[in-house]
Amino acid sequence: MSISAAAGQSRIQSGDAAKIAKPLAGFAGAWPNAESRRDIVATVVVVVLLLAAMEVTSRFVPDYIMPSPVAVWNAARELFFTDPYHVAVTLVRLAISVTIAMTVGVLIGLAMGMFTHLRAYLKAVVVIDTGIPALSWMLIAVFWFKNPEARIFFILLVILLPFYALNVYEGVRALPKELVDMIESFRPSRWQVLRYLILPHIVAYVFLTTKSVIGYAIRMVIFAELVASAIGIGARMNLAQSTFRIDQVLAWTFFLVILNVALQAFVNGLEKLFLKWRAEATVR
Amino acid sequence: MTEENIIELREVSKTFGSYLAVDNLSLNVRRGEIVVLLGQTGAGKSTVLNLIMGTTCPNKGQIRVAGFDPYASFKALKGRLSVSFQTDRLLPWRTALENVELGLLILGRPKNEARRSAREWLGRVRLDGADNKYVHELSGGMRQRVSLARALAIDPEIIFLDESFSQLDHVTSKTLRGDFLQIAREFRKTCLLITHRIDDALEMADRALVLSPPARVALEVRIDDQARSSSRAMADLHAQIASAMGAERSTDH
Ligand SMILES: Nc1ncnc2c1ncn2[C@@H]1O[C@H](COP(=O)(O)OP(=O)(O)OP(=O)(O)O)[C@@H](O)[C@H]1O
Ligand SMILES: [Mg+2]
Repeated sequence: MSISAAAGQSRIQSGDAAKIAKPLAGFAGAWPNAESRRDIVATVVVVVLLLAAMEVTSRFVPDYIMPSPVAVWNAARELFFTDPYHVAVTLVRLAISVTIAMTVGVLIGLAMGMFTHLRAYLKAVVVIDTGIPALSWMLIAVFWFKNPEARIFFILLVILLPFYALNVYEGVRALPKELVDMIESFRPSRWQVLRYLILPHIVAYVFLTTKSVIGYAIRMVIFAELVASAIGIGARMNLAQSTFRIDQVLAWTFFLVILNVALQAFVNGLEKLFLKWRAEATVR
Repeated sequence: MTEENIIELREVSKTFGSYLAVDNLSLNVRRGEIVVLLGQTGAGKSTVLNLIMGTTCPNKGQIRVAGFDPYASFKALKGRLSVSFQTDRLLPWRTALENVELGLLILGRPKNEARRSAREWLGRVRLDGADNKYVHELSGGMRQRVSLARALAIDPEIIFLDESFSQLDHVTSKTLRGDFLQIAREFRKTCLLITHRIDDALEMADRALVLSPPARVALEVRIDDQARSSSRAMADLHAQIASAMGAERSTDH
């Protein structure tokens, strides 16, 4: 553990705190200010233009190429009554797999930050993992696991883990040396340093990671379901494709875009709750 | 080490890279004594404190605190010393009260006892009512007082204060110094205080050391009750310290 092994200069070796002055304070601020109002207006304009383009295109091409927005809406209404179970399945899978990846990733990131002798090896594992294409993992998962749930959790774990591990490691390195010296002055156990200093400090990094991977995670769950499962949104999209229901494919697509936005907002909300101690920095 | 000296430095040197921050420093502090370190900025006062705390390892020489090497036998001094740093070093995710609790929890005190005693100490630094404020909601002076309360709350034998009173307004500073002195004398705490204010040093110290870079003792004066009762003696001491601090300033490049 570098936290007490560093010879010479100081008891704890923490990376330069200044190195990661990440824009952690980004999402603070009151609901809608001028800036975010402009964003909302722009989004609405883009959506309306897209729908108009769809509508116009649908007049000139067959339905199986581009259905009209109304047809997609009808498909969506139909799915709303027939498929909520599949949505629930996907959401539960997403929640479980992100939780697993977060837990394992945080543990590895902490180990990287705290155990000097393990660091290089763990780093190597994580870097190699980052280089393996998601598609390879999906195919490998199909060989290795019979159970579709195991396949999905495995795929998400190996894909998301490096993000958590590396960010948490950066978080540990960015611990202000002043705070480390402060807590060390009370002569704590390692567990106490972890509990009172390191864990609270890395919460911000875990949120940062979750916010940046959640969209990717949704896509990967869908993809994994398409490859490895008979239930869930991905499986339903697969079915829609094979029965030539492009209206359903598009309905699912719209739903996934909205789901992404909703989950981002959910994570942002959680973050505000957990990091309420943070000063709300506003940059002019 | 003699029984009397609770802190002992023997020919201690510390370098940062090629920079010599402490040069062959020897110094003793007796149990129950209040020693003040003075010196211009960069003289090495905080570095000396870190060495005694055991958070920094000397390159040369020997340090004993209550009979232990504070760096090598780090854990042996658990609960026996505490420090209020030059900067407040509060944990931003903990409230004022939770920050004061920190040392007590690390010492394994039960949660409710820690809470009660933390609340008491917040009161003693005149911060009642700030219990549930987060660090960013406190002023600089309030933070410094929380930091002071955190250091005192564990009831240590040895207390280090690095410029704890310097950033407070005159009245608060005076009140807190008074309160602190009373606690220190009553419980016979050993105190090593760092300040750049000569008046504070004269008010609080049994003994004042002026350090000149790289942390050499340029002047050592004793301040007893007899000296305190005579304003001429005090003025004299003031002048001596000022000139020692000024003299080193002239060697500054
Ligand atoms: N970790 C470090 N690495 C390199 N140099 C250091 C380090 N800590 C202190 N120094 C240097 O050692 C010298 C003494 O620093 P120190 O913090 O002990 O001064 P100080 O007397 O406490 O000053 P001040 O009154 O401004 O707090 C300074 O020149 C500083 O630059
Ligand atoms: Mg200093």
